[in-house]
Amino acid sequence: MSSFLVALAPLLVVGLGGLLLMLGEAFAHRERGGSGPSADLAIGSFVTLAAGAVVAFSLWLVGPENLGGAAGVAPFLIIDRFTLFFDIVLCVGGALAALLAGGYLPEHKLDRGEFYPLLIFSTLGAMVLASAGDLLSLFIGLETMSLGVYALVGFRRGSARSAEGAVKYFLLGSFAAALLLYGGAMLYGATGHTDLAGIGAALRGGTLTGADYGLAIVAMVLVLAGLAFKVSAVPFHMWTPDAYEGAPTPATSFMAVAVKSAAFATLLRVLVSAFGDPASMSWGTGWPPVVALLAVMTMTVANLVAGRQESVKRMLAYSSIAHAGYLLVAVVALMTQPGIAQGSILFYLLAYTVSTAGAFGALILCGSRGKEAVSYEDLAGIGHRHPVAAAAFALFLLSLTGVPPTAGFFAKLYVVRAAIGGGFLPLAILLLLNSVVAAYYYLRVLVYMYMREPAPGAPVAAPMRSGYVTAALLICAAGVMLLGLWPTRSLELAIDAALAAR
Amino acid sequence: MSAVPVPYFLVLAAVLFLIGAGGFLLRRNLLVLLMSIELMLNAVNLTLVAFNRLHPQSHGGQIFAFFVVAVAAAEAAVGLAIVLSFFRLRNTVRADEANTLKN
Amino acid sequence: MERYLPILLLFFVAAVVAGVIYAVAIFVGRIPKGGPVNLDKERPFECGNPSDGASTLRPTVKFYLTALVFVVFDIEAVMIYPWAVKFSALGWNGVATMGSFIALLVVALVYVWRKGALEWEK
Repeated sequence: MSSFLVALAPLLVVGLGGLLLMLGEAFAHRERGGSGPSADLAIGSFVTLAAGAVVAFSLWLVGPENLGGAAGVAPFLIIDRFTLFFDIVLCVGGALAALLAGGYLPEHKLDRGEFYPLLIFSTLGAMVLASAGDLLSLFIGLETMSLGVYALVGFRRGSARSAEGAVKYFLLGSFAAALLLYGGAMLYGATGHTDLAGIGAALRGGTLTGADYGLAIVAMVLVLAGLAFKVSAVPFHMWTPDAYEGAPTPATSFMAVAVKSAAFATLLRVLVSAFGDPASMSWGTGWPPVVALLAVMTMTVANLVAGRQESVKRMLAYSSIAHAGYLLVAVVALMTQPGIAQGSILFYLLAYTVSTAGAFGALILCGSRGKEAVSYEDLAGIGHRHPVAAAAFALFLLSLTGVPPTAGFFAKLYVVRAAIGGGFLPLAILLLLNSVVAAYYYLRVLVYMYMREPAPGAPVAAPMRSGYVTAALLICAAGVMLLGLWPTRSLELAIDAALAAR
Repeated sequence: MSAVPVPYFLVLAAVLFLIGAGGFLLRRNLLVLLMSIELMLNAVNLTLVAFNRLHPQSHGGQIFAFFVVAVAAAEAAVGLAIVLSFFRLRNTVRADEANTLKN
Repeated sequence: MERYLPILLLFFVAAVVAGVIYAVAIFVGRIPKGGPVNLDKERPFECGNPSDGASTLRPTVKFYLTALVFVVFDIEAVMIYPWAVKFSALGWNGVATMGSFIALLVVALVYVWRKGALEWEK
């Protein structure tokens, strides 16, 4: 009877850990006063989320197909290798954000304990989202994740920019959720199922009447639009730069890494399980041309706009949109090469997680005393003033650019290979062209860090030093190098995790 | 007594949804935007419950509507808190005043 | 094309109705009020006393906080009603499930209490 608890172990570990931390923080707060709560909570959150990743990995080793309880929670939560892979990626993303927060929050006088429970519960929501096999659990996971992140964006209560980013993100995010939900309601009406597998079976069976089939197509458009908001694909990206810039940097890192990964996980699951029938997957009558259009617009617009930004944080926000575009190219390749395309997406998300979290961490190290290093000028000469932060930043930017032998290079390589192998040569060429454009603004940071000196008289922030942030950077750097030097084994694992297309 | 046909509910729900979406796109008051989103979610609930009558073998649609109601309440709470903190800092609830982040 | 016709029709009707409602709302909002402005008539009615003080009082933030907490906890009853209807059919399994749900709510309540959100005076 209790075997379903084993299948849900990663979720339970993270959820119970979050509850304990939340209560602990509430009870400890009044006794002490004085020093801030970050020190204990950052470690506690890191341990909780790392434990979630470890438990997910041990379930992976056992093999989810050997877990008796997995069937008991289906179809609401599907425990397969795909889920476990994303559990690990999401827990790593959340744990890194917790470490970054441990250094960032005290430095910027934001040291309030709420940050960590919000972070953990958002991660929990993201994990539910990644494992959701039913529209109901998908919606609940999506909202659990999003509500926490809305609050995290508005965490800097004294800052108008933070409040504004939170307002925009909240309004557009809830609007997208409503679109998604309306699409879900239509799918239920057309097929009589709310579970993705049932919807897929009904579409594949060809038993739908004409009107129901039309309804399902309209629903598909609405669901795609809702998910495109969440992965911040152009033209649904308007909230991204504002929310990313207004949020405290650890929260930005979490959004760029975990929220995006979870959104891609659910996009894949919806497209493969629910819209995986031959008609929906064909170029003429299905979603691939729509996704291809999204991919082209996302890559191109994001890269062109990113090059014009003066704020490094905003540049990284647009760069994260661009990476969503590269990933969408691989999503199109699902059409002809489901296994390899999914493997490349999963590998890309893993590589992107460590590179992006590292880049934001290095950006945190470059500012101090309540002042973030935001513009390119702030970074001038940081190569001499803070060689460690600069070296780490350089490594992660090179990985994001896709320079060998970093993780980012192989991630791009596999996506391009999946696209070419799937017969989408133009998309692959466009991806490569965009990577060249992107190299301009990534390398511009390096130029400022190493070849410019701050203008005379300009206020120069003393770079901060923090054990937490350094630890996070070390983990990210290790990840970038490991994935870059031994990519094939990780890719095999990622392909193992791919959803079976039926 | 004959029941009201299902398509009537669907049309009503679509009208509500479009009013909500239109309000979201046209209006400028943050509180009105929040209400528009709630209206859209309620339209979804109506759609779900109406469709449940076409698929009477289970209560999936009605259960789904319960969850949507519960989550919408949590969403409204977070949204109001965010709008409140925005108002505290900017002394306005007009969406077009939210422009300090333009680049 | 035929398969999309009912859906197109649905949205066409819905768009027309929604559009008409919006048009009427905008039209009504623009109609100028008839006659000259009568100050006595526009004044808020307070039992015959002349009104005093600002008309836009800003209530204390405590109201919002209490309202937010109330909304979130209150609406959870929506989960308990269906459970109560099916209580005997669900058996001990249902009791355990609802028990853990309520335990979660209690944890949230304890958190709210410890954070001082329930204290009206302070």
